[in-house]
Amino acid sequence: MEIGQSAYDFELPGVDGKRYSLKDFADKPVLVLFFWCNHCPYVKAYEDRVIQLAREFSDRVAFVAINSNDPTQYPEDSFENMKKRAEEKGYPFPYLFDETQAVARAYKASRTPEFFVFDEERDLKYHGRFDDNWEHPEQVRHEYVRDAIRSLLEGDIPHVSQVPPIGCTIKWKH
Amino acid sequence: MRIELLYYPECPSHERTLELIREALALEGKQAEICVIRIDTQEQADAHRFIGSPTIRINGHELQPQPHLPYRLTCRAFLHEDGRISPIPSLTMLREALRTAEGG
Repeated sequence: MEIGQSAYDFELPGVDGKRYSLKDFADKPVLVLFFWCNHCPYVKAYEDRVIQLAREFSDRVAFVAINSNDPTQYPEDSFENMKKRAEEKGYPFPYLFDETQAVARAYKASRTPEFFVFDEERDLKYHGRFDDNWEHPEQVRHEYVRDAIRSLLEGDIPHVSQVPPIGCTIKWKH
Repeated sequence: MRIELLYYPECPSHERTLELIREALALEGKQAEICVIRIDTQEQADAHRFIGSPTIRINGHELQPQPHLPYRLTCRAFLHEDGRISPIPSLTMLREALRTAEGG
């Protein structure tokens, strides 16, 4: 998906029993949509950081996690296990299951985690990794997603619009 | 001593892991033959009993084995001594494994 393109709509089930589409997040000026899963250690490395950021901006930014992995190959990523993980960690955002993988394909997502930050018109303004140091949170120098959110909330364009995502590949169905 | 580093190229963990292995060897004052094995297919994963990238075997003993996991092409996780889950082993884990390895 290219910078400037509009967000693709979807209708996906969440672990809370509700179904979600873009209109459910229309009250927030910024949307952070990210591809996520249970099994990937890079997701686990970033999990607490993403939860913290979502809580910090909960009044003005919608965070939405989507798992598109094939659970037949990766049972940890099944809908039931998604529910368990969200409950264990107290996810402050909807965790949605893209069973057909159509949403991942529409967004041309390839990794978990992979972040897409949209402005109020739901045009893509940042795409890529969360920050510049998955290994050592205390050594992060550039918080790409946080910076993009701040810029958009201040009416600016993010200084950095794309950084290649780092993590596990999305597990496509054969 | 022989160290096998098995990796799946779509997972970005192996280069940093190789650095850590070399660092651990230097800190422990040990030498080893490091054999880097690329895993590209499910058939190779099955043949090498590969649960994910990176898999490290020191004199045949796997670092943090997880026998409940299937053989597959993905990144694997390591539980660090501080309780953190990471895509790579810690330097402390590697040094400990080198110390206890037979023939080391």
